[in-house]
Amino acid sequence: MGAVAAAGAQESGRLLGILPPMVAFRSTDTSGRTTGLLLRCVLYSLLALGLIIVDKRYDHLGKIRRVLSIVAYPVQIAVASPFEGWDWFRESVSSRGALRADKVKLEAELRLAQFRLQRYEALEAESQRLRALRNNTAGITDRFLIGDVMDLDLDAFRERVLVDKGARDGVFVGQAVLDSGGVFGQVARVGQLTAEVILVSDATHAIPVQINRNGLRTIAVGTGDMGRLKLPYLPTSADVVSGDLLVTSGLGGGFPAGYPVGTVAEVKRDPAQSLADVDVKPAAALDRSRELMFVWLKPQASSPVPATSSAPAASAGHVAPMPAPAQSQSAAAMPAKTPPPAKTPPPAKTPPPAKTPPPAGANDE
Amino acid sequence: MMRDTRIRRLPMSLSALVALALAVLPLPSVLEAFRPDFLVLVVFYWSIESPRAGGLSLAFMAGLALDVIHGVVLGQHALALTLMAAWATHLRLRLRVFSILSQCLTIFALLTGYQFILFWVDGATGNPVTTFGRWLAPIIGALLWPVLAGILSRLHER
Repeated sequence: MGAVAAAGAQESGRLLGILPPMVAFRSTDTSGRTTGLLLRCVLYSLLALGLIIVDKRYDHLGKIRRVLSIVAYPVQIAVASPFEGWDWFRESVSSRGALRADKVKLEAELRLAQFRLQRYEALEAESQRLRALRNNTAGITDRFLIGDVMDLDLDAFRERVLVDKGARDGVFVGQAVLDSGGVFGQVARVGQLTAEVILVSDATHAIPVQINRNGLRTIAVGTGDMGRLKLPYLPTSADVVSGDLLVTSGLGGGFPAGYPVGTVAEVKRDPAQSLADVDVKPAAALDRSRELMFVWLKPQASSPVPATSSAPAASAGHVAPMPAPAQSQSAAAMPAKTPPPAKTPPPAKTPPPAKTPPPAGANDE
Repeated sequence: MMRDTRIRRLPMSLSALVALALAVLPLPSVLEAFRPDFLVLVVFYWSIESPRAGGLSLAFMAGLALDVIHGVVLGQHALALTLMAAWATHLRLRLRVFSILSQCLTIFALLTGYQFILFWVDGATGNPVTTFGRWLAPIIGALLWPVLAGILSRLHER
């Protein structure tokens, strides 16, 4: 670089000081015409346009993309591995004292967690019994799979991460993804070996939630900012205060019910507006989590409703055990890019008599 | 001519691979918006330097690679990169005699056109980006151009 700068003390070099005065193009290929440039340009552009349309409109490109993602995998691994290697190195040279301190801390945390779990298991069993009475088994988790976030930047302006589990491990598009704090996002795209997860904070992501305190249901929408979600469909009169915990409602069938999504950070009520402006702080550590959980929901074997009615908006009305704000229904029809498969929970009006409850403890939480 | 073409292929694909790796290199999230489009600059360089060695094919393939690696609709970067590489090829004889400042300005125009096509496809496929951050990349890329082109021209000198 220095040599280039030194070699070319030409007129324009003075302009920018250290930079090379002129970029040296060395090829002898200076004939004026490039044969068929226009033709090739048009051909390639049409090909690319065709790809865009086919990829957008139809779902035929999944296989091609999967193959291409295998080709891209070595590059991704090559970029990610030095950073992972550094982490590993730092871990392996950490001192005995630090490890001991960590161990003591973790043991204390574990004891606390076990203490809490005792009560939790009883509550969980009770909740399942009650739900079984209502034959509402929607959104009960079946099994988990842990995946590691790959240390890559996918897109600076979209909230996505790449995880090292893919179609080979049974991951599917629309699958719910959690981290240790709460709901992280859902799977947007699946490769053979990797999966792309779209965060709850992505501007195109929406998730059905309810306020834990009073059961008020609404939709939490991403803002494109990792530290903030918003609830755009709550009327100014809605009963929401800052500090309220939001949990997944399980409506729509994509997410398991009852997992924390975030806490309400700020409620702005402008009397001139009909809707309140509610900011939510996500519960998951969206910018820090390295380990994510893929969740499989328990299949609804006992659902008496045929799966043909697929519009969530159509069913949302009569599922509601409590009056729903009208906005949440229209918003339920506006899921993210990858709408979760709309499962229709059984109508609460006509509970069928005593179905067999799901086996207790099958939920491997 | 044939020999000339064959010699170019290796540094071409090598530099493209390195640039592709730089495109997904993890950065602190503060710097993320400032990441220049390395691969685009590399493709521009090769379409100006030796278009006969497959500048447009390189552009198309590199675009597809970006689509896959960024996980956007397939063909988006390919379209933008093909069009802008063709424009760069068209301008290449003029670019050779430009001063460094004019070169940077031209590259800035090309990069802005590239971002505009991305922006347009994003909007057309109903997936718009809501921040203004993406319009920063052309400025950074144009500032980086002299350095990058200098490195590349030294690279394939030997």
